[in-house]
Amino acid sequence: MDNDNHSCDNNCKEKKPAFKWDPLRFISKNPDEVLKKVDKRLDKLEKEYFKNTKEKENNLPNIFDIYGVSRRDFLKWSAFLTSTLMLPYIFKPRIARAANILTRTPFIWLDMADCMGNTEAFIRNANPTPAEIIINYVSVNYMESIMAPAGYQAEARRTETIKKDKGKYILVVEGAIPTGMDGKFLTIGAKGDTGIKIVKETAKNAGITIAIGNCAAYGGIPAASPNPTNAVGLSSVTNRSVINIPACPANPVNVVGTLVEYILTGKAPQLDNIGRPLWAYSGRLHDNCYRRGHFEAGEYVRHWGDAGAKKEYCLYMMGCKGPFTWNNCTTAEYNQDTSFPMRAGHGCIGCSEPVFWDRMTPFEKPNADAKIIIPGVEATADEFGVALLGAAGVGIAAHAIYTGIKKKNETKKSSSKKED
Amino acid sequence: MENKENINKYGEINLVHRMTVIKRIIHWTFFLAIINNIITGFYIAYPFLFFGKTPTQSDSLSTGIVNSGETNQAFIMTWMRDFHFIGAVLIDVIFIVWLYLAFFSWKEPLYKSFLPFGDKLEEAWKMIKHYFTLKDKPKTGRYQDPLNAFVFTIFHLLILLQMLTGFQMYVASFTGTSAVGAWWPWLMHFSTDWTLFIFGGLTGVTIAHLFIMWLIIIFIAYHIYIEVWRSVMWKEGDILIPFGGYKYIRNKSETQ
Ligand code: HEM
Ligand code: SF4
Repeated sequence: MDNDNHSCDNNCKEKKPAFKWDPLRFISKNPDEVLKKVDKRLDKLEKEYFKNTKEKENNLPNIFDIYGVSRRDFLKWSAFLTSTLMLPYIFKPRIARAANILTRTPFIWLDMADCMGNTEAFIRNANPTPAEIIINYVSVNYMESIMAPAGYQAEARRTETIKKDKGKYILVVEGAIPTGMDGKFLTIGAKGDTGIKIVKETAKNAGITIAIGNCAAYGGIPAASPNPTNAVGLSSVTNRSVINIPACPANPVNVVGTLVEYILTGKAPQLDNIGRPLWAYSGRLHDNCYRRGHFEAGEYVRHWGDAGAKKEYCLYMMGCKGPFTWNNCTTAEYNQDTSFPMRAGHGCIGCSEPVFWDRMTPFEKPNADAKIIIPGVEATADEFGVALLGAAGVGIAAHAIYTGIKKKNETKKSSSKKED
Repeated sequence: MENKENINKYGEINLVHRMTVIKRIIHWTFFLAIINNIITGFYIAYPFLFFGKTPTQSDSLSTGIVNSGETNQAFIMTWMRDFHFIGAVLIDVIFIVWLYLAFFSWKEPLYKSFLPFGDKLEEAWKMIKHYFTLKDKPKTGRYQDPLNAFVFTIFHLLILLQMLTGFQMYVASFTGTSAVGAWWPWLMHFSTDWTLFIFGGLTGVTIAHLFIMWLIIIFIAYHIYIEVWRSVMWKEGDILIPFGGYKYIRNKSETQ
């Protein structure tokens, strides 16, 4: 709170914000009002989840001690998250408080038709950042991969949470939901309930519902053509509003950021037209890529491992789908905030876009080399275009020859007539 | 004496006005813009690096001539995209003017070649038959013949589609606002977001844009051939229309 006076340096009340869109506008147009509301909500939640001040203050340090994360690391991280969330610096202490509260918020993590890649991304980390640690320490009531109870007890945990923490718990769903055969392609748990039933039940009373990973958000790989199980994304089976955090796997920063914003405001962040938080998914990778200069200069990697690859040239010709993909990989970065595909030397595969398995393939060829979707045609746009042009050329030539011959015959006829 | 002989041989020759100055300017600007967009568009789809700097430097023909080989002097893709967008602006303006003139041109509005619709359809069919039998040449009239009018209209619809898919790709790099205000990306989203659903996402839109280019190239081939063919077969100077604005009208034809 030491930064409060930074917010209004020179008569900011008269000054209009420079951008039409800023992250917390939907709370209130007045910045002071936003702060007041956020503080009130944080106070209330802290009272609810912590018995006393001591417990509140020791909670995070205790957790971080186990992983050898210093207080300094945590402060750096909360500053990082504040800027990633596109919030002003004044929110930094509030983000730290929200992260603290997040570790006590009841939480259900469901796995549907998926590879558990998102789970893995969170829990299998050699050097977890505060993001991953906080997710692990969120008071997980139900998460198949890490919970102790099994069978009927596990189910009981879930139903109990749904009842007890109605409207409060966070629901994260990972994986697509098969809807074919009444959803029987996916049955889970001791009772053999279908995935679609479990998801519907759990989403009904959730405080906030998050679809994590491309499969949960848009169906992902299980829904790839021909989609035998009729798998769909979460938003297609529940009428609750769903926050999509797509990517394969989703970046932990984006999940924790969304959760933190929920703790701060009690609402979902502002979303784009396919349900993704704007603060994370409003930038196109191609526009924020550090190789963009090479793209503009016409410097491209032509083969894996060639001289261009060594110089980190643009991966456009190697099939990079950055021009078609919205995400914050290039700024928030993956794997303990160290890298992302283009930095590692492979093009983007567009995993945060709907239907990416069908639309972004072939992954390692330029988009123009993709097959066009016209029934009965198995060709790229150029192959088909050249074929059509060739056919047109043959037609034109045939017509020209036909005209020539016919005309010759007619002139012969008419001249022979004249002779008669 | 000589003149009369000519009339007997070629029929009476009259002039008919077909293209106003504005239309002729449009025709050739359109031509240049489309050729420009085909070349630059190809480059965007497949950067063929003819002028660009390649990883080994030595295989660039232009190094040391138009640029010193420094990255910042060889922004080849930037130039290609810039020229593509300049061409696109010309195409957009021309399309709108064309649409206006199709209805409100004082001299030769296109809609006159369409109305009454049923008759004109039959006339177009007669023209197609004439192309293949070389007989019964439809009479040259005051307005464009219906077959050409139909083909040109379809061509302009392709251009419109090219504009819409192009704007959808263009708006992709906007983040909700722009130098001239938020209305501009909003307008582009509003008018072109449906292409995402039709063609299957931005990748599909790009491929559609690429494919429509081929249809446009095919149109160009057809267009040039048929105008040359007419000039040769009809001897009415059709090829002169976009230059001088006039063609001849004869009351006699070899193929009647
Ligand atoms: C006759 C007209 C045109 C032709 C033949 C043409 C052709 C092309 C081609 C072949 C591409 C490459 C597509 C790919 O990456 O696979 C392209 C890209 C593009 N075109 Fe066009 N185009 C035309 C008109 C337009 C118009 C009217 C616009 C309007 C804004 C436009 C905007 C774009 C944009 C934004 C791109 C993408 C550039 C990029 O990704 O950097 N084009 N065009
Ligand atoms: S590597 Fe990919 S995202 Fe980066 S500039 Fe090249 S095409 Fe764009």
